Amino acid sequence: MTLTQRAEPHDPPESDALLSVRELHTEFLREQAEPLRVVDGVSFDVERGKALAIVGESGSGKSVTVRSVLRLLPRTARTPSGEAWFHGRDLLSLSQREMRRIRGRNIGMVFQNAAEAMNPTLTLERQLTEHLLWHGICGKSEARERAVRALGDVGIPEPERRIRVYPFQLSGGMRQRAMIAMAMVTEPALLIADEPTTAVDVTVQRQILDLLVGLKDRGTGVIMITHDLGVARYFCDQAVVMYAGRVVEQAPTSELLDTPRHPYTKGLLGSSVEVGGQERPLLPIPGSPPDLAHRPAGCAFHPRCAQAESPRCQEEQELISIGDERAAACWKAETGR
Amino acid sequence: MDFLTFLSRRLVRLALCLVAVSIITFTLLQSAPGNFADIQRVTSGASSIGGTGTEQMLAESLSRYGDDVPAWQQYLTFMQGVATWDMGPSYRYAGRAVEDIIGSAFPISATLALLAVTLALLIAVPAGVFAALRQNSKADHSTMFLVTLGNALPSYLVAAFLIVIFSASLGWLPSSGWSRPEHLILPVLALSLGPAAVLARYVRSSMLETLREEYVTAAMAKGGPYRTVIVRHALRNSLIPLVTVVGPLLAALMTGTVFVEALFRIPGLGYYAATAAASRDMPLLMGTVLFFALIIMVVNLAVDLTYGFIDPRIRAEGGWGRSQLRKTSTQPA
Repeated sequence: MTLTQRAEPHDPPESDALLSVRELHTEFLREQAEPLRVVDGVSFDVERGKALAIVGESGSGKSVTVRSVLRLLPRTARTPSGEAWFHGRDLLSLSQREMRRIRGRNIGMVFQNAAEAMNPTLTLERQLTEHLLWHGICGKSEARERAVRALGDVGIPEPERRIRVYPFQLSGGMRQRAMIAMAMVTEPALLIADEPTTAVDVTVQRQILDLLVGLKDRGTGVIMITHDLGVARYFCDQAVVMYAGRVVEQAPTSELLDTPRHPYTKGLLGSSVEVGGQERPLLPIPGSPPDLAHRPAGCAFHPRCAQAESPRCQEEQELISIGDERAAACWKAETGR
Repeated sequence: MDFLTFLSRRLVRLALCLVAVSIITFTLLQSAPGNFADIQRVTSGASSIGGTGTEQMLAESLSRYGDDVPAWQQYLTFMQGVATWDMGPSYRYAGRAVEDIIGSAFPISATLALLAVTLALLIAVPAGVFAALRQNSKADHSTMFLVTLGNALPSYLVAAFLIVIFSASLGWLPSSGWSRPEHLILPVLALSLGPAAVLARYVRSSMLETLREEYVTAAMAKGGPYRTVIVRHALRNSLIPLVTVVGPLLAALMTGTVFVEALFRIPGLGYYAATAAASRDMPLLMGTVLFFALIIMVVNLAVDLTYGFIDPRIRAEGGWGRSQLRKTSTQPA
C-alpha cells in the first residue's frame, strides 16, 4: 500500500485495487467563516476480498471519508476533491445521476443503527427489493425471491414470513442482519460498513462479524469504520488510523496493533480494553480531539502527545513510509520508538 | 384488545360525552338571560307586524316544552327527541323541524369544508415540501413569508377582499347565494387560505425533520432516484403527523363557519347555530351543538383509526390491527 504519485490527472492508478482513494479533501461551508476541512488529503486502497479498517475517535472524519466516496454528503459540504477510482472510474468526477447507478448496486452501505437506517413504515420486502427494481436488476417477483434468500443468508429464520414485517417488529440483532441483507441483496463488489457492530450487544457483534467474514471470503471488498480495535483485528486485513481529518498511520492490521508507530495509534491501543488486556493498565489519551476550526499548528496531535518535546512536532508531518506496507505521519516513526 | 373492542369502547365513550355536552349546553342556555318569547316580542314588536299570528305560533311551538314544565322535564323531552331523531320544530323557524334544518344545512357546510380542506392540502403539501427541500434559501423564505401572510389574515377578511375583487370590481363571480357551482368558488377560497398556511408550516417542519432521518440517507445510499426517495421515504412519513391537524380542521369547518357563511349568504350550519343562539331557540341550539359535538368526536375517532392504518408502529402498539402483524410482533426474536 504505497502512496504512488499520479502522473496525469484522471488516469486510474496502476494498482489493481477495487477502490483507490487519492488525496481526498472534503470541506464543509460555514456561515461567515472559512470552510471546515473535515477530510484533508486521505488516500487508501481497498482490495477485492479484503477488509480495510478506518479507525479513530469520533470526529476524526471517518464517516465523512466514506460518505465522500459515495457522494452522500449534506448540502453544506462542497463536492469533494481528489480521486476515488472504482472499476476504472473516478467516483468524484461522476455526476449525481451516474453516482446513483453505482450506489446500492456496486457499492453497498451498512449503517451503525438499523433502527434508524431502515424506514419504520415500510415492510422489509419493500426495503429489500426497491433498489433491485431501481437499478433494473430484476423484476418484482424475482426481487422478492432474492430478498427472501438474502434474509436467509444472514441467518434470519423463516425469511418467507419475516419479509412481510416492519423493522420495529424485529429484535435489534435481527434488524441489524436484515440491514446487511438489504445492502447485500444486489451483490455489490464493495461494502461500506459504518460501525456496524457498535449499536448491538456483544453476542450479536460476533454474528455480524462472521457474516461479514463470509462476504469477504466470497470476494467482496469491505471498508469498516470502527473505533473498536478488537473488531479491526478480528476482521480487517489493513487499517488506516485517522486523526483530525488526516491519515496518521496505515499498516496491515496485525502489524499496526502489535507494533504501533504513531503515538496516536499507541494511545488508542493504550485506551482500548480488549487489546490492552488485564495485565496492562488502561492509559487513556489525555485531552480530546481538536476542534477542526482551530486545528493545532503542525502535527495536529502534538498537544495531546506524550512524546512531543521536539520543535519538529510544531511542523506539518507527512506520511513516512516504513518498509513496504506501512506509513506513519510522525518524524519519530522511522526510528521505531 | 382487538379492533372491535377498541371501536366499541370508543363508541361508548362518545355517547357518554354527548350526554355530558347536552347537560352543559342545556344548563348554560337555562341560565342565560332572556328567553325566546321575550326576544321575539321585542324584535317583532318593533316592526309592528307581530300581532296575533306570531303569538299564536309561539304558543304552538312552546307547547312541546311549555313554560309551566320544569326545566329537567324539558331536557328529558328534548333528549328523547334526540334519541328518536325527532327534535320537534324550531322556535325561530316555525314549521321546520330541527332535524330537517340540520339535515339540509349540514351537507352545505360539509361540502364547503371538504373542498376547502382539499384545496388547502393541495396548496400546503407542495409548498411545504418545496420550502423544506430548499431550506434557508430565498425560495424557502419567500414561501414562508406568503404563508405567514395567509396565516395572519382571518377568513372573513379574505372573503371580503375576494368579494371586492372578483364580484364587485371584475364581476366574474357571484358574491352570494347557493344554487350554482360558481357559488362555491369564493367561499372555498376564503376558507382554505388560512388552513393552507397553517398546514404548509406543518408540512415544512415535519419534512425537515424527516429529511434528517438516517433512513432517507440510507435510501439514497441504495441508489434511489431523488424523487422516489423524497416521496416514498421522506414525504410519506412526514405526512403522518399531519393527520392529527387535518382532522380537527375538517371538523371545525364542517360545523360551520359563521362569518363566511353570513358574508356569502350560505344557508350552512354555522349560520343556523348563530341565529339559534342569538334568539335563544332552545331546540335548534341544542340540536346543532350536539351535532357539532358528534362531528368533532367522530372525526377524532376517524383520525385515530387513520393513524393506526397509516403508521404500522401505532397499529402494533394499540394492539389492534391485522392479525398477521400481531402474530409476527409477538414472535420471540
